[in-house]
Amino acid sequence: MNADPLKQYLLAEGATLAGVGDVTRALSAEIIHLGRGIAIAVNRSLTRESVDLLVRLQALTEGWLKANGFRSLSIPPDSDRRNGKMITKLYKLFCHKTAATCAGLGWVGKNGLIINRQYGSKLSWATVLTDAPLDTDSPTSVSECGVCDLCVRHCPSGAVKGDLWSIDDPMKEIVSYEKCRALKGKITSLSGKPNCGFCITVCPYSRNLGRREKIA
Amino acid sequence: MADEARKKEIFEKLRNGVIQYDEDACREGAQEAVDAGLDANEAIFDGLVSGMEEVGRLFEAQEYFVPEILMCADALYAGLDILKPHCKQMDLGVRGSVVIGTVEGDVHDIGKNLVKMMFDVAGFHVYDLGRDVPLDKFVDEQLKTDSELVCLSAMMTTSMVGMPTVIEKIKAKNPDCMIMIGGAPTSKDLADKWGADGYAEDASNALKEAIKMVSFLKKLRDEKAAKQ
Repeated sequence: MNADPLKQYLLAEGATLAGVGDVTRALSAEIIHLGRGIAIAVNRSLTRESVDLLVRLQALTEGWLKANGFRSLSIPPDSDRRNGKMITKLYKLFCHKTAATCAGLGWVGKNGLIINRQYGSKLSWATVLTDAPLDTDSPTSVSECGVCDLCVRHCPSGAVKGDLWSIDDPMKEIVSYEKCRALKGKITSLSGKPNCGFCITVCPYSRNLGRREKIA
Repeated sequence: MADEARKKEIFEKLRNGVIQYDEDACREGAQEAVDAGLDANEAIFDGLVSGMEEVGRLFEAQEYFVPEILMCADALYAGLDILKPHCKQMDLGVRGSVVIGTVEGDVHDIGKNLVKMMFDVAGFHVYDLGRDVPLDKFVDEQLKTDSELVCLSAMMTTSMVGMPTVIEKIKAKNPDCMIMIGGAPTSKDLADKWGADGYAEDASNALKEAIKMVSFLKKLRDEKAAKQ
């Protein structure tokens, strides 16, 4: 099934990136029938508006799939988990990074975030799982971080270990989430900001984006 | 008294809202039921629960899967939250309170939450202990709340083995208390062996059992109404 009409539709409605991945290998029993992951990204800082846009794009995707006679399950953006709902329990069974890498939209960088060649890691993600047999994009299977270790050196909590990600070892802890979370808590209580974001700011892939925009 | 056609329309909206897992429709339907002065209990049973019965059927027919069930459950709750405050206490002789939780070592609570929902619907007072609950907590909570029913859930064999301990302790202190166990590794044989009063195999069966229970209540109510 051709996925291009759906992708074009999402891009026209404001998505920065949209891709389809075969995510079967990452699914648990409850959702094993939903073998395709539609990864949607929005290139904006994480604000209420960008989350709303992502949620809207998900709803459009669901509608499109329903109209074509298929099931779907939306995994909302991490910052909009709709806590307290029964369906919330299923969200943690699937991670946006899986959909993004399977859809070939990026790799998991040394900073633990999805890095896209063009947009770096300044992207917010949402996923729609579906049983529609959409044509899949070819997955990203290796890290393209190379020898760069800027995020390792700039991380104030020493959480970034500097390991390279590979699709064959998805459970490897690339970033010490414990250390990152500890600092995050401190920063939030001092400045009210959600996190420090150094690992995003220093990433050459993210920085190039800023430069390109200035030139344009 | 709202006219019959309007009533039917609202109940149909609630029923379809649950089946189509449309939270907004359920919320709207519930508000319309309240505004029209309809009986809240009736709206719950003939609207929301009737929808959930159909969802149970769709699940059995493999039209619906776990995600759909959970979304339907959320839709049902959306309506229930609005209708609940308007409910008259039902006098069916079985109203009571229930202690429910997933036993120590187990964090799987989808099935437990579905069963809890049906207890909520049926007007039970539910003491939800959550998941990974220490065994003694069940015993203490039962004594504290004097609940008629205790439901133990487990999805893993390793955590299931804690169940007989709880059953024994509760039965020793309070022989009248009914105990139900549920979850993938449990069976009718185990329930009998451990002295539990009932069992439900997995989330779908638990839901089915719970729907059966509520359907039974509904029948009782209808019979009672017919007599009057």
